[in-house]
Amino acid sequence: MILEQLAGNLFQGVVLGTVYGMATMGLSLIFGVLKVVNVGHGAFIMVGAFTSFAVFEYLGLSPVFAVPVAFGIGMALGMIFYYSAIRRLLKGPELASLLATFSFGVILEEAVKQLFTSDFRGFNWDLGKIDMGFTVLPYAKVVACLGSIIVALLLYLWFNRTRAGMAMRSVVEDSVGARVCGVNVDWEYALSFSLGIGLTVASGVLLTMFISVGIHPYMGGEYTLKAFVIAVLGGLASPYGAFFGGLVFGLLENGSYVFFAQIQGLEPFAMTRFFSFLILLLILLLRPTGLLKAK
Amino acid sequence: MKKTTFFALNLLAAFFCVATAFAADLPQKIVIGHPEALSGAQAKAGEQAVGGIKAVIKWVNTVQGGVKVGEKKIPLDYKYYDCESKREAVTSLLERLITVDKVNFIMAPYSSSLTLAGAPVAEKYGILYMDHGGASDKIFTQGFKFIVQTIGLGTRYHVGTLNMLKKKDPASKRLALAYKDDEFGRSVMEGAEAHAKKLGYDIVFKRTYPPTVNDLTPLLSELKASRPDIVLGGGHLADGQLFTQQMADLGIQTKAFSLIAAVTLPAFQNALKEKADGVMGPSHWELGVTYTKEKAQKAGQAWIGPSQDEFVKLFKEAIGKDLRPEYHAAEAGAAVLSLVLGIEKANSLDSGKVRAALGKITFMSFYGAWGIDETGQQVGHDLIDAQWQGDKLVIVWPEEGATGSLLYPKPAFK
Repeated sequence: MILEQLAGNLFQGVVLGTVYGMATMGLSLIFGVLKVVNVGHGAFIMVGAFTSFAVFEYLGLSPVFAVPVAFGIGMALGMIFYYSAIRRLLKGPELASLLATFSFGVILEEAVKQLFTSDFRGFNWDLGKIDMGFTVLPYAKVVACLGSIIVALLLYLWFNRTRAGMAMRSVVEDSVGARVCGVNVDWEYALSFSLGIGLTVASGVLLTMFISVGIHPYMGGEYTLKAFVIAVLGGLASPYGAFFGGLVFGLLENGSYVFFAQIQGLEPFAMTRFFSFLILLLILLLRPTGLLKAK
Repeated sequence: MKKTTFFALNLLAAFFCVATAFAADLPQKIVIGHPEALSGAQAKAGEQAVGGIKAVIKWVNTVQGGVKVGEKKIPLDYKYYDCESKREAVTSLLERLITVDKVNFIMAPYSSSLTLAGAPVAEKYGILYMDHGGASDKIFTQGFKFIVQTIGLGTRYHVGTLNMLKKKDPASKRLALAYKDDEFGRSVMEGAEAHAKKLGYDIVFKRTYPPTVNDLTPLLSELKASRPDIVLGGGHLADGQLFTQQMADLGIQTKAFSLIAAVTLPAFQNALKEKADGVMGPSHWELGVTYTKEKAQKAGQAWIGPSQDEFVKLFKEAIGKDLRPEYHAAEAGAAVLSLVLGIEKANSLDSGKVRAALGKITFMSFYGAWGIDETGQQVGHDLIDAQWQGDKLVIVWPEEGATGSLLYPKPAFK
């Protein structure tokens, strides 16, 4: 029985981990290229969740169609925020850009609240489920998991197989050298920021395929916290590291539950957090750059 | 001038002076201060509470002409700020309301933890603190003297549910308890566990989950393995929606499933659609409950306030949209009514005197019965149980107030 639960939890952890990973890639990309910590990260996930809700409820379309829509909205928001604030603050103290991204988060939360009110929204996208014996998995979660993997692969290919991706990598390596070689560094910064925000907003859609309820303007806080843990776990400046960090985090969270549940007097859910942060601390001590170095 | 006439005139003059001085001490309005959650996690309930308070204040000022103190009727006024669902904001806003805005009385914010955060500040200034949405019993074990509760006790939330299920199916004994790990959730779980043991239930699963949870799969997988007949749990709306969705995702079929503070809200069914079918939850008040002046008379209690229909109309006007009032609105409105009766009975705006007067009051309103014990805890109000049957919320318990019968066993998740 315990082994069955462990297998089920680990499997669910992998599925959830891919979505967590995807939800963190944007954060790592922005930090990796611009060295800007986006503390408003969760609010952008929330925008994606509302995009998914709106596409499903008002247009009657599958949330899958909301992924490109959310990505487009995220890119546009990224460009607006970059040219209106981030660009001017890049050479300022780190605290300035940190406060700016915090402000973006608050602005988005209040704007979405005006549009959708503070109700807890949700939708019922039921595709059926697979009973695997040791656990039951809804097909919607399978779609979310596959979607996350596909987006991560596309990002990998874009970085490694396209000129635009290579230009962005050159800016990360040496921005002065890149400028000398004719790369428009300012544009690369703008593109990186908006791409990071686009990925984050799109991940909000994938998260609603996993959990399609509890959508409200202030839902982002918990995701921001998790994203920072995952980003540090995977190497703060590495989008691929973030993806694998998500997998590790999902496995740790879900897998450790079964062990803690065997100990009388413990609340296993509370202990899974303790355990996740303990592992995070250990990884930071033993491998400060995270699981994967920045690429 | 005769001696007796001279004496009578002096007496009249003295009475006039005293009456004038008393009237001069009375303010032009009685201000109720309120740090309420209008953004953040509790924003939905906070919006409802503010609407309920505004609705009842309007009724008091327009229908009753204000609150009677001495010979004067004084209108109520309302000053509120958004505490953003944050405990630290509650304390600073309370300081502001008391020392800068000089309010006469305070309404506590929604939820047990926010109510508890503000209680020491109200206590420090000796100002009456009307708890409309903090159900945890812990609030009343700290020795606070100025807090008065309208929402029912946390420990009683699932008592009626268990009584109903025991009556319906005495053979189903395997009970699982899974509540949110906060003041309110723990309080409800403690009460449910004690009552379940009294009724002879076997508690096969008992866990809490963190307040900010966004995936309950590990906990629910363990719950599933314990093969319960009945699942009781929850905390608030967001985790209640999540709980139900993931119960359905994991195909956990039980005979009865009840969640606190989530199920009776329309947003619960709007989000979950057919997954909400058969899910039930306790509530302090629902549209459709039939508390009337006649029922109050029959129960030997005083009646005050608008009828249910009047309250709904006033609520919609106050909130400025076609929104259905929920129990958060009703209990906040009832808290204002209790304050009005307390002031009138004390014939004073002094918080200590009003608090003492409230201890001697019982009454009925559109919200139902009201009465507190010596600690300020609500003991007069009984909860109801409601169940989603299709897209209709049916009151299934207590039998005398039911609008339909219990759907049992609960339809399986598809």
